[in-house]
This record gives sequence, C-alpha cells and structure tokens, in this order.
Amino acid sequence: MTRKALIVPCSGIGKTYGSVAREGAYIVTEDLCPKSSRLVPLALVVLGDEEVQQTLAGSPAIAIDGCKLACAAKVVAGAGGTVAHAIQVLDVYRRHRDLKPAGIAELNEAGQELAKALADEVSGLVDGIAAEETNA
Amino acid sequence: MPELPKRKVGLVSCSGEEMAEGTVTRLATLKVLETLRPEETVTICLPLFLAGGEGDRAFARFYPTIAIDGCEKRCAARGTEMYSSKPAAGIVVSELCPAGAEEQGTARRLNEAGMKAVNAVAEEIALHVDRLLGAPWDQSRGESAGDDPAAQVKAPGVATCSCGSGIPVKTLEIGGRQVEVLALPLIFDMFRQAAKPAVDETAAEMIETVRLYNRIPEGEEALWKLALGREYASYCAEVR
Repeated sequence: MTRKALIVPCSGIGKTYGSVAREGAYIVTEDLCPKSSRLVPLALVVLGDEEVQQTLAGSPAIAIDGCKLACAAKVVAGAGGTVAHAIQVLDVYRRHRDLKPAGIAELNEAGQELAKALADEVSGLVDGIAAEETNA
Repeated sequence: MPELPKRKVGLVSCSGEEMAEGTVTRLATLKVLETLRPEETVTICLPLFLAGGEGDRAFARFYPTIAIDGCEKRCAARGTEMYSSKPAAGIVVSELCPAGAEEQGTARRLNEAGMKAVNAVAEEIALHVDRLLGAPWDQSRGESAGDDPAAQVKAPGVATCSCGSGIPVKTLEIGGRQVEVLALPLIFDMFRQAAKPAVDETAAEMIETVRLYNRIPEGEEALWKLALGREYASYCAEVR
C-alpha cells in the first residue's frame, strides 16, 4: 500500500495567509488528491499525540505555512517527521500578485483563488511523492 | 512614553483542522477578537509555543488565558499548560454544544447548527473574558493574584494577534546564570524616556517594575538589582 502524503497547514488564526493555508489544505485533501493525501491537524502534533507521531514517522509531509515563522514545518520536523516540502503561502502569493487575499474568518474571492493556486502547487508535489512511492 | 504590555486575556484555540468542532473554536475565537471583545483580547497560534521563542512561551504566564478546544483531547489546554502556563479557563465545544457527526457541518464548511455553536462558544468566551478581567492576575507567577494588591496590574490595550511578537524579553546574567527577563526592553525604553539616569536609585526603582512581570527568587534581589543597573547603563550608553 502506498503511503499518503501528509498535508500539515499551520494553525494561523490571526492572519489572512493562515486562512489561505488552511483552505488550500482542504482543497488538496478533499478535492484534488483525496486518495493520495491526508490532512494532519497541527495541534495534535504540538501535543505529541502518539498516533500522529507514528503517522508522521511513516510518511512524507508537506508543511504549508502562512507566515515566516513556519510553525508547521518546524513543529513537524521537531516531532520527527520528514518535511518533504515546506510551502510558504507568501511565496505562492508572489507568483500570483493579482490574488490579494483579505479576511480571516472568511476569505475574499481573491483569497479563495489564491488557496486554489496554492492547492494546485501542493497537489503537484503530492503527485510527485506518489510517483516516487510507486517507483520505489 | 512607550507603554508596557497591558492586561488583556489571551485566547488559544485548538483550530483542529479535521473536525467541525475545531472550526467552531477558530471562528468563535475570531468573533471575540474582532467583534465581541476586541480591546480586551489577544491571541497566539498554539504551535508557536513550540516554534516560537521565549517571549511566545511566556504568553499564558503573562496573560490570563482561555483555552478553546474542539474535543476531549484538549490540545489547546494541554499544549498551553505544557509549553507556557496553565490556562485560567477552558472551553470544550463538544461539551458545550454536543452534536453528532457532521451535525454542525464539516471542518471546511459549518452549517447553520455549526454557526449557532460558534455564537454560543463566542458568548461563553466573552463571559470568561469579563470574569478574568474583573479578577486580579499575577503576571510573575502566571496565576490568580488573590487579594495581593502588589501583584495586580490592569490597563486597557489594543487587540492583536501575538504571532511573532510575543512578550519582549532580554537575557541577563544574574548570579552566573542566564535569565530571560520578561518585558525588560520595554521597561528600559520607558525609564530612559523618563530621563532616569543609570544610577543605583534607578535600579532600585526599576526592580519594582520588573517584579510585576517576573518572579524574583527569594534572596536574589540584590543580584537582580546589580544586573539591571549594569545592563541599563550599557543600554543608555548604546542609545545615546
């Protein structure tokens, strides 16, 4: 059985880019790559949840962070996970400057579009991981 | 004159990304921060306790904190206690608004019942905020100050996300140990702008302000005073 790529968005609660990270993660795990990816809640990683730690130890993770503090990437690495890719929403925004996100509880339309652009990039990475798994 | 960090209530939400209740915690917290009690509350992302610095980990010691959790795992409450300090209050959505699977919608999209839960949880948070702001808080110990007036600090401020800002700290060598002193950069700014000279009398005055935010171990006051005086003199020389 091939391993699923673990998608770990930051919990960014006070910033728009955190909401984009979260929405992008949902698009990947629910719409684009439901069979080859899985969402991992960062709070459980913070807490050192045993089951989540085992999951992290067994599969590559893609961390999606909403700010430069990179909580998701740092916490996953600190918990012994393998961060195969660390994505910064701001970098995605730099490639899509027409999509200026706004809102936290509810993203504006541009924010939703940015989340889709983010998800497209992440789904490409998930496909790459799946291909490596198949070829391994 | 710069203001020292003021009394607010800290909100830590689990934000649990895989369940509707996690989304309820996130949206309820945001509602309190943005609408119900914007001037009285501040938040921090739970993972920042691990990924951030000492100032971030001081969050729950500095602010009386409410942990808002989606389920009985209580990641926010337990994580806050593990890495910062015990929350002053806790709310669990699955207990306050019990619901069956997907009755409140999904983590991605809450339905009407989910939005009702958001409102109920937000109201509950606001009640805790009012209660906590009405009670004294000892920032040096991260717990209720009881009736000790010397430990009580209360003043208004501006609501904000604390990500990356945290509580400013400065490391001093005190008695041969490296000690991180909370709020010291702001205290130095405040004393300098009040034209306080770097003399023994100022260090004696400063230690009373430092004590509001830090626990000074018994018998170490003279060492702290010495270190504060030395560091403040150095700070004044640098910014001259």
